[in-house]
Amino acid sequence: MDKKELFIKVIKENEGLIFKVTTLYTNSPEDRSDLSQEIIYQLWKSFGSFNEQSKLSTWMYRVALNTAIYHLKQNKRGIATTPIDIDALRFADEKDTEAEERIKMLYQHIQLLNLLEKGVILLYLEGKSHEEIAAIIGLSVTNVGTRISRIREKLKTQIVKTK
Amino acid sequence: MELEEMKASWEALSKKVEKQEQLTTQMIENMTTQNFKSRLNKIGNWELAGTMICYAGAAYLVISFNKISQVYVQVFAIICMAILFVLPIISLMFLRGMGNLNISEKSYAETITAYAGQKIRFQKFQKLNVLFTVCLMVMAMPVLMAIQGKDLGKVSYYWSVIFPVMLVVFLWNGLVGAPLLRPDA
Repeated sequence: MDKKELFIKVIKENEGLIFKVTTLYTNSPEDRSDLSQEIIYQLWKSFGSFNEQSKLSTWMYRVALNTAIYHLKQNKRGIATTPIDIDALRFADEKDTEAEERIKMLYQHIQLLNLLEKGVILLYLEGKSHEEIAAIIGLSVTNVGTRISRIREKLKTQIVKTK
Repeated sequence: MELEEMKASWEALSKKVEKQEQLTTQMIENMTTQNFKSRLNKIGNWELAGTMICYAGAAYLVISFNKISQVYVQVFAIICMAILFVLPIISLMFLRGMGNLNISEKSYAETITAYAGQKIRFQKFQKLNVLFTVCLMVMAMPVLMAIQGKDLGKVSYYWSVIFPVMLVVFLWNGLVGAPLLRPDA
Protein backbone atom coordinates (compact mmCIF):
# COMPACT_ATOMS: atom_id res chain seq x y z
CA MET A 1 0.00 0.00 0.00
CA ASP A 2 1.55 3.33 -1.02
CA LYS A 3 1.53 6.52 1.04
CA LYS A 4 -1.54 8.04 -0.61
CA GLU A 5 -3.59 4.84 -0.34
CA LEU A 6 -2.67 4.57 3.32
CA PHE A 7 -3.64 8.21 3.87
CA ILE A 8 -7.02 7.74 2.17
CA LYS A 9 -7.66 4.68 4.35
CA VAL A 10 -6.76 6.66 7.51
CA ILE A 11 -9.05 9.55 6.54
CA LYS A 12 -11.96 7.26 5.72
CA GLU A 13 -11.57 5.46 9.03
CA ASN A 14 -11.52 8.77 10.91
CA GLU A 15 -14.16 10.67 8.97
CA GLY A 16 -16.22 11.00 12.15
CA LEU A 17 -13.37 12.78 13.95
CA ILE A 18 -13.10 15.40 11.19
CA PHE A 19 -16.88 15.78 11.08
CA LYS A 20 -17.16 16.40 14.83
CA VAL A 21 -14.34 18.97 14.90
CA THR A 22 -15.69 20.84 11.86
CA THR A 23 -19.23 20.88 13.23
CA LEU A 24 -18.05 22.32 16.53
CA TYR A 25 -15.94 25.10 14.99
CA THR A 26 -18.16 26.34 12.16
CA ASN A 27 -21.53 28.01 11.67
CA SER A 28 -22.69 26.83 8.26
CA PRO A 29 -22.50 23.81 5.95
CA GLU A 30 -20.24 25.81 3.56
CA ASP A 31 -17.84 26.66 6.36
CA ARG A 32 -17.90 23.08 7.55
CA SER A 33 -17.02 21.83 4.10
CA ASP A 34 -14.19 24.40 3.76
CA LEU A 35 -12.74 23.49 7.13
CA SER A 36 -13.05 19.78 6.42
CA GLN A 37 -11.07 20.18 3.17
CA GLU A 38 -8.48 22.32 4.91
CA ILE A 39 -8.01 19.74 7.68
CA ILE A 40 -7.54 16.92 5.19
CA TYR A 41 -5.06 19.05 3.22
CA GLN A 42 -3.08 19.90 6.39
CA LEU A 43 -3.13 16.24 7.47
CA TRP A 44 -1.78 15.23 4.07
CA LYS A 45 0.95 17.89 4.27
CA SER A 46 2.21 16.53 7.57
CA PHE A 47 1.45 12.85 6.90
CA GLY A 48 5.04 12.22 5.76
CA SER A 49 6.47 13.61 8.97
CA PHE A 50 3.93 11.90 11.21
CA ASN A 51 5.85 10.32 14.04
CA GLU A 52 4.41 6.87 14.60
CA GLN A 53 5.59 6.94 18.20
CA SER A 54 2.68 9.26 18.90
CA LYS A 55 -0.81 7.87 18.49
CA LEU A 56 -2.50 8.42 15.14
CA SER A 57 -5.55 9.95 16.80
CA THR A 58 -3.35 12.35 18.84
CA TRP A 59 -1.73 13.61 15.66
CA MET A 60 -5.09 13.88 13.86
CA TYR A 61 -6.78 15.79 16.67
CA ARG A 62 -3.81 18.13 17.00
CA VAL A 63 -3.82 18.99 13.27
CA ALA A 64 -7.62 19.22 13.10
CA LEU A 65 -7.96 21.50 16.16
CA ASN A 66 -5.04 23.74 15.16
CA THR A 67 -6.40 24.07 11.63
CA ALA A 68 -9.81 24.99 13.07
CA ILE A 69 -8.27 27.92 14.97
CA TYR A 70 -6.53 29.30 11.90
CA HIS A 71 -9.66 28.77 9.87
CA LEU A 72 -11.47 31.08 12.33
CA LYS A 73 -8.77 33.67 11.78
CA GLN A 74 -8.95 33.36 8.01
CA ASN A 75 -12.70 33.77 7.98
CA LYS A 76 -12.66 36.53 10.62
CA ARG A 77 -15.94 35.11 11.85
CA GLY A 78 -14.88 34.21 15.34
CA ILE A 79 -15.91 31.13 17.22
CA ALA A 80 -19.09 29.41 16.12
CA THR A 81 -21.85 30.60 18.39
CA THR A 82 -24.99 29.39 16.70
CA PRO A 83 -26.56 26.02 17.46
CA ILE A 84 -25.59 23.17 15.24
CA ASP A 85 -27.70 22.39 12.19
CA ILE A 86 -29.07 19.09 13.41
CA ASP A 87 -29.77 17.86 9.84
CA ALA A 88 -26.04 17.58 9.39
CA LEU A 89 -25.99 14.78 11.91
CA ARG A 90 -28.06 12.50 9.70
CA PHE A 91 -30.77 11.67 12.20
CA ALA A 92 -33.33 11.39 9.44
CA ASP A 93 -33.17 7.60 9.28
CA GLU A 94 -34.09 7.12 12.91
CA LYS A 95 -36.03 10.07 14.23
CA ASP A 96 -35.32 10.54 17.90
CA THR A 97 -36.53 13.97 19.02
CA GLU A 98 -35.25 13.58 22.54
CA ALA A 99 -31.75 12.69 21.37
CA GLU A 100 -31.79 15.59 18.92
CA GLU A 101 -32.76 17.99 21.68
CA ARG A 102 -30.03 16.68 23.97
CA ILE A 103 -27.40 17.05 21.22
CA LYS A 104 -28.63 20.56 20.38
CA MET A 105 -28.43 21.53 24.03
CA LEU A 106 -24.98 19.97 24.35
CA TYR A 107 -23.68 21.95 21.38
CA GLN A 108 -25.25 25.16 22.61
CA HIS A 109 -23.44 24.84 25.92
CA ILE A 110 -20.11 23.89 24.32
CA GLN A 111 -20.35 26.92 22.01
CA LEU A 112 -20.34 29.18 25.06
CA LEU A 113 -16.95 27.91 26.23
CA ASN A 114 -13.69 29.59 25.26
CA LEU A 115 -11.34 28.06 22.66
CA LEU A 116 -9.16 26.18 25.15
CA GLU A 117 -12.13 24.81 27.10
CA LYS A 118 -13.81 23.84 23.85
CA GLY A 119 -10.79 21.75 22.82
CA VAL A 120 -10.54 20.11 26.25
CA ILE A 121 -14.23 19.25 26.43
CA LEU A 122 -14.28 17.87 22.88
CA LEU A 123 -11.47 15.46 23.72
CA TYR A 124 -13.06 14.58 27.07
CA LEU A 125 -16.36 13.77 25.37
CA GLU A 126 -14.44 11.72 22.81
CA GLY A 127 -13.34 9.53 25.70
CA LYS A 128 -9.66 10.52 25.60
CA SER A 129 -7.58 9.92 28.72
CA HIS A 130 -6.17 12.87 30.65
CA GLU A 131 -2.71 11.92 29.31
CA GLU A 132 -3.91 12.05 25.69
CA ILE A 133 -5.75 15.34 26.27
CA ALA A 134 -2.58 16.75 27.83
CA ALA A 135 -0.51 15.65 24.80
CA ILE A 136 -2.92 17.20 22.29
CA ILE A 137 -3.72 20.39 24.16
CA GLY A 138 -0.24 21.01 25.56
CA LEU A 139 -1.14 21.17 29.25
CA SER A 140 0.06 19.06 32.17
CA VAL A 141 -2.07 16.07 33.16
CA THR A 142 -2.93 17.76 36.48
CA ASN A 143 -3.94 20.91 34.67
CA VAL A 144 -6.23 18.89 32.39
CA GLY A 145 -8.00 17.47 35.46
CA THR A 146 -8.40 20.95 36.93
CA ARG A 147 -9.71 22.34 33.64
CA ILE A 148 -12.28 19.55 33.31
CA SER A 149 -13.53 20.23 36.85
CA ARG A 150 -13.83 23.95 36.05
CA ILE A 151 -15.65 23.23 32.80
CA ARG A 152 -18.01 20.91 34.71
CA GLU A 153 -18.84 23.77 37.10
CA LYS A 154 -19.16 26.27 34.26
CA LEU A 155 -21.55 24.00 32.37
CA LYS A 156 -23.62 23.43 35.50
CA THR A 157 -23.98 27.19 35.97
CA GLN A 158 -24.86 27.66 32.29
CA ILE A 159 -27.52 24.94 32.45
CA VAL A 160 -29.04 26.41 35.61
CA LYS A 161 -29.16 29.85 33.94
CA THR A 162 -30.91 28.53 30.84
CA LYS A 163 -33.54 26.57 32.82
CA MET B 1 -27.67 17.88 32.04
CA GLU B 2 -24.53 16.76 33.87
CA LEU B 3 -21.17 16.24 32.17
CA GLU B 4 -21.65 12.48 32.33
CA GLU B 5 -25.05 12.77 30.62
CA MET B 6 -23.42 14.94 27.99
CA LYS B 7 -20.80 12.28 27.44
CA ALA B 8 -23.51 9.67 26.93
CA SER B 9 -25.27 11.90 24.39
CA TRP B 10 -21.95 12.52 22.66
CA GLU B 11 -21.26 8.80 22.44
CA ALA B 12 -24.68 8.29 20.85
CA LEU B 13 -23.87 11.04 18.36
CA SER B 14 -20.45 9.54 17.64
CA LYS B 15 -21.99 6.17 16.79
CA LYS B 16 -24.28 7.80 14.23
CA VAL B 17 -21.59 10.03 12.77
CA GLU B 18 -19.08 7.22 12.40
CA LYS B 19 -21.54 5.29 10.24
CA GLN B 20 -21.65 7.98 7.60
CA GLU B 21 -19.36 7.77 4.60
CA GLN B 22 -19.44 11.14 2.95
CA LEU B 23 -15.83 11.35 1.81
CA THR B 24 -15.04 9.41 -1.34
CA THR B 25 -11.57 8.32 -2.45
CA GLN B 26 -11.76 10.85 -5.30
CA MET B 27 -12.61 13.71 -2.91
CA ILE B 28 -9.70 12.90 -0.63
CA GLU B 29 -7.34 12.55 -3.61
CA ASN B 30 -8.40 16.00 -4.83
CA MET B 31 -7.53 17.51 -1.46
CA THR B 32 -4.06 15.97 -1.54
CA THR B 33 -3.04 17.29 -4.96
CA GLN B 34 -0.72 20.26 -5.39
CA ASN B 35 -3.56 22.10 -7.15
CA PHE B 36 -5.61 22.22 -3.96
CA LYS B 37 -5.77 25.83 -2.83
CA SER B 38 -5.29 26.07 0.89
CA ARG B 39 -7.27 29.02 2.23
CA LEU B 40 -5.14 29.44 5.33
CA ASN B 41 -2.42 31.53 3.71
CA LYS B 42 -4.37 32.72 0.71
CA ILE B 43 -4.17 36.41 -0.11
CA GLY B 44 -7.58 37.78 -1.07
CA ASN B 45 -8.48 39.81 -4.13
CA TRP B 46 -9.08 42.93 -2.02
CA GLU B 47 -5.59 42.77 -0.53
CA LEU B 48 -4.07 42.26 -3.99
CA ALA B 49 -6.10 45.14 -5.45
CA GLY B 50 -5.01 47.42 -2.56
CA THR B 51 -1.36 46.49 -3.12
CA MET B 52 -1.64 47.22 -6.86
CA ILE B 53 -3.21 50.64 -6.18
CA CYS B 54 -0.45 51.53 -3.68
CA TYR B 55 2.29 50.46 -6.09
CA ALA B 56 0.64 52.32 -8.98
CA GLY B 57 0.58 55.45 -6.79
CA ALA B 58 4.24 54.96 -5.82
CA ALA B 59 5.19 54.43 -9.48
CA TYR B 60 3.35 57.64 -10.47
CA LEU B 61 5.30 59.60 -7.84
CA VAL B 62 8.62 58.11 -9.00
CA ILE B 63 7.90 58.98 -12.66
CA SER B 64 6.71 62.50 -11.81
CA PHE B 65 9.36 63.27 -9.22
CA ASN B 66 11.41 65.53 -11.55
CA LYS B 67 8.37 67.84 -11.91
CA ILE B 68 8.69 68.78 -8.23
CA SER B 69 11.08 71.67 -7.63
CA GLN B 70 10.56 72.69 -4.00
CA VAL B 71 12.70 70.76 -1.51
CA TYR B 72 10.01 70.31 1.18
CA VAL B 73 7.58 68.93 -1.43
CA GLN B 74 10.30 66.54 -2.63
CA VAL B 75 10.71 65.32 0.97
CA PHE B 76 6.91 64.85 1.18
CA ALA B 77 7.00 62.88 -2.09
CA ILE B 78 9.76 60.57 -0.79
CA ILE B 79 7.82 59.92 2.44
CA CYS B 80 4.64 59.22 0.41
CA MET B 81 6.54 56.78 -1.82
CA ALA B 82 7.98 55.01 1.24
CA ILE B 83 4.52 54.66 2.84
CA LEU B 84 2.95 53.42 -0.40
CA PHE B 85 5.73 50.90 -0.81
CA VAL B 86 6.11 49.65 2.77
CA LEU B 87 2.50 49.43 4.03
CA PRO B 88 1.30 46.80 1.53
CA ILE B 89 4.40 44.70 2.26
CA ILE B 90 3.70 44.72 6.01
CA SER B 91 0.03 44.01 5.36
CA LEU B 92 0.82 41.05 3.10
CA MET B 93 3.35 39.78 5.64
CA PHE B 94 0.57 39.63 8.23
CA LEU B 95 -1.66 37.77 5.85
CA ARG B 96 1.08 35.34 4.90
CA GLY B 97 2.15 34.96 8.53
CA MET B 98 0.37 31.65 8.75
CA GLY B 99 2.34 30.23 5.82
CA ASN B 100 5.23 29.40 8.14
CA LEU B 101 3.09 27.63 10.71
CA ASN B 102 3.76 24.07 11.59
CA ILE B 103 0.25 22.98 12.42
CA SER B 104 1.19 19.39 13.26
CA GLU B 105 4.03 20.31 15.64
CA LYS B 106 2.37 22.92 17.82
CA SER B 107 0.03 21.95 20.62
CA TYR B 108 -3.50 23.36 20.72
CA ALA B 109 -2.61 25.70 23.60
CA GLU B 110 0.46 27.00 21.72
CA THR B 111 -1.67 27.61 18.64
CA ILE B 112 -4.23 29.57 20.66
CA THR B 113 -1.42 31.71 22.13
CA ALA B 114 0.06 32.31 18.66
CA TYR B 115 -3.42 33.13 17.32
CA ALA B 116 -4.03 35.66 20.12
CA GLY B 117 -0.58 37.18 19.59
CA GLN B 118 -1.16 37.62 15.86
CA LYS B 119 -4.53 39.20 16.54
CA ILE B 120 -2.99 41.77 18.93
CA ARG B 121 -0.16 42.57 16.50
CA PHE B 122 -2.67 42.96 13.68
CA GLN B 123 -4.76 45.38 15.74
CA LYS B 124 -1.65 47.46 16.56
CA PHE B 125 -0.70 47.47 12.90
CA GLN B 126 -4.16 48.68 11.93
CA LYS B 127 -3.84 51.65 14.30
CA LEU B 128 -0.41 52.44 12.87
CA ASN B 129 -1.85 52.04 9.38
CA VAL B 130 -4.44 54.74 10.07
CA LEU B 131 -1.72 57.13 11.30
CA PHE B 132 0.37 56.49 8.18
CA THR B 133 -2.71 57.08 6.04
CA VAL B 134 -3.21 60.44 7.78
CA CYS B 135 0.39 61.41 6.97
CA LEU B 136 -0.05 60.19 3.42
CA MET B 137 -3.22 62.19 2.84
CA VAL B 138 -1.77 65.36 4.33
CA MET B 139 1.49 65.14 2.38
CA ALA B 140 0.03 63.88 -0.90
CA MET B 141 -1.93 67.09 -1.53
CA PRO B 142 1.06 69.47 -1.99
CA VAL B 143 2.91 66.73 -3.92
CA LEU B 144 0.06 66.17 -6.38
CA MET B 145 -0.42 69.91 -6.85
CA ALA B 146 3.29 70.40 -7.51
CA ILE B 147 3.24 67.60 -10.11
CA GLN B 148 0.33 69.33 -11.88
CA GLY B 149 2.28 72.59 -11.83
CA LYS B 150 -0.01 74.31 -9.37
CA ASP B 151 1.23 76.34 -6.44
CA LEU B 152 -0.36 75.31 -3.18
CA GLY B 153 0.26 78.80 -1.81
CA LYS B 154 -2.15 80.19 -4.40
CA VAL B 155 -5.04 77.93 -3.38
CA SER B 156 -7.37 80.09 -1.30
CA TYR B 157 -7.78 79.07 2.30
CA TYR B 158 -5.61 75.94 1.89
CA TRP B 159 -3.37 76.50 4.91
CA SER B 160 -5.92 78.45 6.93
CA VAL B 161 -9.01 76.24 6.41
CA ILE B 162 -8.61 73.18 4.15
CA PHE B 163 -5.43 71.77 5.74
CA PRO B 164 -6.56 72.12 9.41
CA VAL B 165 -9.99 70.63 8.61
CA MET B 166 -8.35 67.72 6.77
CA LEU B 167 -6.00 67.14 9.70
CA VAL B 168 -8.83 67.15 12.24
CA VAL B 169 -10.91 64.75 10.15
CA PHE B 170 -8.04 62.30 9.69
CA LEU B 171 -6.90 62.50 13.31
CA TRP B 172 -10.45 61.87 14.45
CA ASN B 173 -10.54 58.92 12.10
CA GLY B 174 -7.22 57.69 13.46
CA LEU B 175 -8.22 57.94 17.10
CA VAL B 176 -11.91 57.06 16.97
CA GLY B 177 -12.24 55.17 13.71
CA ALA B 178 -9.28 52.81 14.16
CA PRO B 179 -10.89 50.64 16.87
CA LEU B 180 -13.85 50.14 14.54
CA LEU B 181 -11.54 48.56 11.98
CA ARG B 182 -10.66 45.67 14.24
CA PRO B 183 -11.56 42.28 12.68
CA ASP B 184 -13.71 41.34 15.65
CA ALA B 185 -15.38 44.74 15.97
